[in-house]
Amino acid sequence: MRALVIDDSRVMRRIVAGNLHTLGFETFEAADGQEALDLLAAGEQADLACVDWNMPVMDGLTFVTKVRADPELRGMTLMMVTTESEQSQIVRALAAGAHEYLIKPFTPDAIREKLEWLGLVPVGEHV
Amino acid sequence: MALSSDAFGWVSDLVRRRSAIQLPVGKEYLVESRLLPLARQHGLNDVKAFVVMARSRNEERLLRGIVEALTTNETSWFRDNTPFVALHQKIVPDLLAARPRPAHLKVWSAACSTGQEPYSLAMVLTEALPPQVTFEILATDLSQQVLDRARTGRYSQLEVNRGLPAPFMVRYFNRVGAEWEINRTLRSRVTFRQHNLLDPAPVGKVDMVLLRNVLIYFDLPTKQAILRRMAGVLADDGILLLGAAETTIGVDATWDRVQFGSGSAYRKLATQPAPCSSNVVGLSGQVPTQAGPPGLAVRTGPPTAPFIPPRGGHS
Amino acid sequence: MTTATVDFASVFEIAQVVFAAMVDGDEGLLVPRDDGDDSDDDGAGAGIADPVMSWVEVHGPYSGRTAVITGAETAHALVRALLGDGDAPVTDADLVDAFGEIANVVGGNVKALLPGQGTLGLPKVATSLPPTADPLVLTLRLAWRGEPLDIAVWLTQEEEGGNR
Repeated sequence: MRALVIDDSRVMRRIVAGNLHTLGFETFEAADGQEALDLLAAGEQADLACVDWNMPVMDGLTFVTKVRADPELRGMTLMMVTTESEQSQIVRALAAGAHEYLIKPFTPDAIREKLEWLGLVPVGEHV
Repeated sequence: MALSSDAFGWVSDLVRRRSAIQLPVGKEYLVESRLLPLARQHGLNDVKAFVVMARSRNEERLLRGIVEALTTNETSWFRDNTPFVALHQKIVPDLLAARPRPAHLKVWSAACSTGQEPYSLAMVLTEALPPQVTFEILATDLSQQVLDRARTGRYSQLEVNRGLPAPFMVRYFNRVGAEWEINRTLRSRVTFRQHNLLDPAPVGKVDMVLLRNVLIYFDLPTKQAILRRMAGVLADDGILLLGAAETTIGVDATWDRVQFGSGSAYRKLATQPAPCSSNVVGLSGQVPTQAGPPGLAVRTGPPTAPFIPPRGGHS
Repeated sequence: MTTATVDFASVFEIAQVVFAAMVDGDEGLLVPRDDGDDSDDDGAGAGIADPVMSWVEVHGPYSGRTAVITGAETAHALVRALLGDGDAPVTDADLVDAFGEIANVVGGNVKALLPGQGTLGLPKVATSLPPTADPLVLTLRLAWRGEPLDIAVWLTQEEEGGNR
């Protein structure tokens, strides 16, 4: 399983990628939505993209909208990972085509459970 | 003003005696962090003073509060995922098919803790049932403290991040300040009541019992007694759901295991044969119009959809 | 909802969660300082030697900022904990990114306490805070792994007419 981690903060990318590695993903990174699209257009594959909302150049919502409009990228699961937690924001993200929404700060359990629900990680033992 | 090792020892002993949970040495800061809110509730600004007070007063309420503060774990929504998938796709449709219309389903969540389980159930039933079928959920737990929390239907951001699918969050919850509150309709479907599993059951006949991750705290004879009590309140084709790693096998032979995907449920033996329904029922097209704007319907063309079984290991 | 929702309890809870989830992997390492109460008489960061601060500004129906203030050594330790880099030296870029991200996530969650939808600015890191017209409404005097760390919130809210 491959995941694309998109966030303008290197430390946030490191945290998300670290969690994904524990769950068995290979990861690659982009600092904004445009860089992410460029990587995908160049042939990089991803089963999952974890997408921050507020980024320069191209924000997460725009990235999600563009991906959902692209038939080549149909197979990619999109999960927002952001501090934006207004109900209206979450609705907007889901309406734009995001499959899931993870609010920062999140714990390793939280990200695992989201991915279990999405069917990307086998359901494991809970403590 | 850190806890002395003597004070920490007293707290560990108390917790171990009452819950069988061991607090490892080296986790003093965890104890301090968990007990600080409790200390403040009692007008004290540090845990050391609070422990001194609790020890000298030796009041049951205080002692129980300490134990609960240290043994409450975060629970997640739709825990283990699979049972809720199965409820939606198979168990509930089967139960419905076997009942005359208009049907009314009754469910007992018998170790409901802070409410995530019964409210998750309420969400699944709202999704899975046609509108003319009503349901009610009785949710019980031994701890009054968790029940009080559960009744509020309010959860912190951290708690709603745990296993709650985002579409359900926007559909069934409302943001209140920094917290998320289950909507009134859903809250009204769940009644919370204190109940000790060692006592006679607090319900008449129910269609389903969820008894998840609580039998582990009891010895074998007690487990058997509790399971017998469950059999007593379940309808003949009623379903018992245990925790992911739990089974009646080796405990009580009067249950028939019903496999679904990678999980299992239990039905009483020596009753009517299971209803014949081997087809997986798809999602009802019905999207309840509750919180959220119109048009937030089932997404088109996603690689995953709500309530698909987890990959790997399903038949 | 008024600024009453931006109080010690809510902001402390946010800070605890951020540190537990992102920094420490465990709760209990961020606690109120012994001398701690939430009076802001002495100003945010008072008594912290060699201070470094990260902050985010917020605009919208209200204007304000949330800042995290701690000693330089502690800030470096915080960054090392976040990056999981052990004893590797902390570059300026690392500091701005990681220490800034703490302010970003705390500030983002503080913003969520307020009604309406504001926008969060990019996090900044410096050794002093620029002046602001917004009043200081809250100072949390905390300790992280025993070292002093303050979280401060400045806020001006639009007058609301009537009840919500």
